[in-house]
Amino acid sequence: MIHVQELSHSFKIGKKGKEKQVPVLKELSFSIEKGEIVSIVGRSGSGKSTLLHIMAGFLKPDTGTIQVDNVHTSAFNEAESAQFRLTHFGFIFQNFQLMPGLTAFENIELPLKLKGENKHIRKKKVKDLLQHVGLTDVQNHYPNELSGGQQQRVSIARALVTDPPIIFADEPTGSLDSETEQDILLLIQSLNKTRGITFVIITHDDTVAETANRIYRMHDGELTERGASHAI
Amino acid sequence: MQFKDQLDFVRQHIKKNKLRVFMTILAATMGTAFLIVLASVGFGIHDTMRSEILDNRMVNQIEVYAEKMDQAEVEELKKRDHIKAVVYRQSVSLQQKTGLDEFIGENGLIVTDFKEEKKVGFELKEGRLPENAGEIVVGSDFAESLFMEASTESEQEPVTYKGSLVGKQVTYKMGLYEEPEMFPEETIFTIVGIAKEPAKDWMQDYNMYADAAIIPTLNPIFEGHVDDENSQLLYGNVNVYADKLENVTTVSKALKDEGYSVYSIADQLEQMDVFFLAFKAGLVFVGTIAILIASIGIFNTMTMAVTERTREIGVMKALGASPKLIQRLFLMESAWIGIIGTLIAVVISYGVSFIANLVLPIIVTAALGEEEFGDLSVTFSIIPWQLVIIASAISLTVAMISGWRPARKATKIDVIQALRQEL
Ligand SMILES: Nc1ncnc2c1ncn2[C@@H]1O[C@H](COP(=O)(O)OP(=O)(O)OP(=O)(O)O)[C@@H](O)[C@H]1O
Ligand SMILES: [Mg+2]
Repeated sequence: MIHVQELSHSFKIGKKGKEKQVPVLKELSFSIEKGEIVSIVGRSGSGKSTLLHIMAGFLKPDTGTIQVDNVHTSAFNEAESAQFRLTHFGFIFQNFQLMPGLTAFENIELPLKLKGENKHIRKKKVKDLLQHVGLTDVQNHYPNELSGGQQQRVSIARALVTDPPIIFADEPTGSLDSETEQDILLLIQSLNKTRGITFVIITHDDTVAETANRIYRMHDGELTERGASHAI
Repeated sequence: MQFKDQLDFVRQHIKKNKLRVFMTILAATMGTAFLIVLASVGFGIHDTMRSEILDNRMVNQIEVYAEKMDQAEVEELKKRDHIKAVVYRQSVSLQQKTGLDEFIGENGLIVTDFKEEKKVGFELKEGRLPENAGEIVVGSDFAESLFMEASTESEQEPVTYKGSLVGKQVTYKMGLYEEPEMFPEETIFTIVGIAKEPAKDWMQDYNMYADAAIIPTLNPIFEGHVDDENSQLLYGNVNVYADKLENVTTVSKALKDEGYSVYSIADQLEQMDVFFLAFKAGLVFVGTIAILIASIGIFNTMTMAVTERTREIGVMKALGASPKLIQRLFLMESAWIGIIGTLIAVVISYGVSFIANLVLPIIVTAALGEEEFGDLSVTFSIIPWQLVIIASAISLTVAMISGWRPARKATKIDVIQALRQEL
């Protein structure tokens, strides 16, 4: 599904003229298979988010290639990258990143609008998903009228609504209490099972990482596989 | 994204910032309305002057002057292209006195060609055209210019002729202006017809019209009293009429090229039109400055909108919105401001124009006095559809240009930076 080869990236920091190159990712090569839940763990600042940003196309790597579904996504320009995200990726963020001016329903509907989907199709899909994540009662609430867990469910529904083969999650439970965290993780696992969606979960929390079929550990810009953990 | 959804999106954002958008629209409205009203004054004055000129004279008339003008020359003129008629009128260069029963007048005699006159609208309201040397047609106001002989000296209102004219005989005498006595020879004319009133109701026609057959009767009288080589009994003026207004310039240019002196109202109108075109362009230019000032508001509003929504734009891009879409959404928002501003401005401008045309004449009449202004019909402000189109085009273009940079800025927003922003 995702093949990363010799991926390197470094940031320039400091004042102009006296900049320093700080290598963050060092020649990473790894694969993620279809239908897997893969987690990437590592200390803060180890480069996990940077890796996800590059895989998602938010950031261009210095060197190396990324293939998704046999497409060289690292060669895309901005518009191509956006179009590819719309059809292939879903995103779950630590702080949910919902649109404050849109209701839960409208937030979930947004990617379908971007895709140019018709209104009645949108309505049906969103209704189904609301039921699936258990938010039908609060569909007309705005994000600031929802709890953290509810907001994360909205954002999961939003990630699912376009039926993407891959969902990236950066610290999906980072802002949730442990009980809610467990709910969300179970939801992810069931979605993986029932819909065959590939999940890439980034976390610094080992218990979260345990949800995955495979765990990669990030350290000093390098990635090591920690071997398969227990499957559910 | 479907266009309808894009509109929805824009509308939602505008709703969220009603007051700010309203103020921006207000500025755009004021700028555009200022442009339209300002330029409308140019259109109004132009129109007033045009109709003033067109009212007073025949439009496709060309006055032609030549060193030596005579019947042969006139016949040559008639053969030219695009000519409807050539009217050669000759007036008597002497003092003239007329008499009818006990009434007297000082009506002038005009020798003309009735066939040509007819082609350009000369008609009779009574009687017929002259058929021999002794017959004349009189102008529509001829009777009012004949006064009872005795009544002119008394204090009372002079008594004018009231009876019928056709069939009456008129005595006609000529004389030199510098001598008190008229030539003793008296000619008698018979009135056979009365001309129709002139086209403009403020014109009066006191003349007597005869055709060229009269010349042999009058010339001997003149030559019997005046033996100056240089002076003549009759002096003529020639008016050439083009068949269509569009051909006036062609005809008058051709005549000019052949050495005639020509004057036509159409030439004058053309010059005036050129002047007013420049004048109106100047007014539009000044008005555009007002719109440019309003555009600063649009630029500000849009820049703020982009800055405020940085995180939302980042999320949209992360979800897969293309930079093009982001740009379009913001351009639509500034276009919306421009369109609404323009629409309101057009309505307001028509209102202001209407009120100006209603109120300004009253004020000016009060200031200048009825006599000076009363009979002049002035339109202060006219808004033709062309002006509306021009103003809308300028205002919308300016709105789009000022929304352009903020929209570009929105497309350049970095997803990672935007997502990092706190809520
Ligand atoms: N735009 C940037 N410019 C310069 N340096 C950056 C930039 N973004 C990230 N970095 C640096 O790159 C390194 C990796 O950052 P990254 O956000 O990928 O870490 P992370 O593993 O996601 O950490 P956390 O668990 O705290 O989110 C950090 O040292 C950070 O300082
Ligand atoms: Mg991170």
